[in-house]
Amino acid sequence: MKLLANILGLALAVAAVSAACGAAASLALGSKSLSAGSAAVTACGGLTSLSATRTVSNAGNVTQVNVGGIPAACSGETLSVTLVGAANANLGSGTATLGSCGTTCSATFAGFGTVAAASVVGYSFGLAGS
Amino acid sequence: MTARRLALVVGATLALGSSAAFAATLNVGTWHLWAGSQTLTKSQCTVTGATDTYADEKTSVDNSGSLVLSEQPDSGKRQWIYIRFDLSSCNIPTTGGADSATLTLFESIAPKSSRTLTLAPVQGTWPANLPFATALALTYRASTASVATGTTSNVALPITVTADVDGFIKSPSTAFGWRISDGAAQSALDQAVFTSSEAPANKPTLVINYEK
Repeated sequence: MKLLANILGLALAVAAVSAACGAAASLALGSKSLSAGSAAVTACGGLTSLSATRTVSNAGNVTQVNVGGIPAACSGETLSVTLVGAANANLGSGTATLGSCGTTCSATFAGFGTVAAASVVGYSFGLAGS
Repeated sequence: MTARRLALVVGATLALGSSAAFAATLNVGTWHLWAGSQTLTKSQCTVTGATDTYADEKTSVDNSGSLVLSEQPDSGKRQWIYIRFDLSSCNIPTTGGADSATLTLFESIAPKSSRTLTLAPVQGTWPANLPFATALALTYRASTASVATGTTSNVALPITVTADVDGFIKSPSTAFGWRISDGAAQSALDQAVFTSSEAPANKPTLVINYEK
């Protein structure tokens, strides 16, 4: 029983030390100061802006949204587009994985349902990947 | 609990602790993330100066200066209306688009029974003097717009042409306008007559609500 207690104690100590190492691994060593490291999250290919165009049915509803001019370095990343209405209302959205890029990448979104083009006052974009 | 089981517990604990320590040293800066937005500007443009004529199968005369645009489906006497607008005055960039577009024709003489007229985008340029043989040789895109003439004369007929105008905005080099025709079987007094851009009043008008 004493042996059991010793072993358990040892295990807890090892776990505590490991956890401490894990937590401390992101902290800079210093005698009196404490700091944490960080890494910048950047856009792929130096992307700074995107713009979309859309097509409409004769009834004036959005049938397709096209986003082009995306840097080829963004290939494989995930682009999301939201049709923005008045008061920032979400009128519809779509997501696509960028693939088959040439000089630049492009993506086409469809299936927004019945969204009047006149109601769309802008687009919002999100692009994420590794 | 046996000593062997305890050894396993100790081993697992060490492994988990070490994993946490290693994960904490991984670089998280390999992820890309970007968010942005685009704001659209809405406006309206009205164009009244159309180029228009009608091709007459029976006479093939130059109708570009006529005060009227005539249409009928009768065999051997078909009349097709051609009309196009120069959208350059609207200054809409090719990245813009039509939210809605309405072509209004003033029907000065309505047929006896209501007819459905079809607007087919023309796929090439056409001369103001348009013989019917030349009109026949033109090619057309599938129509997305049509209008019922009704049976009342001297009324304005609004025709929704949003999809076509959106295409004209995005590709100005394809903006050759429309042929307006009646593909149904002929009947008595089936001719529809509209005022042309040469008329002193009630000229064809295209109103575009657009974004850019």
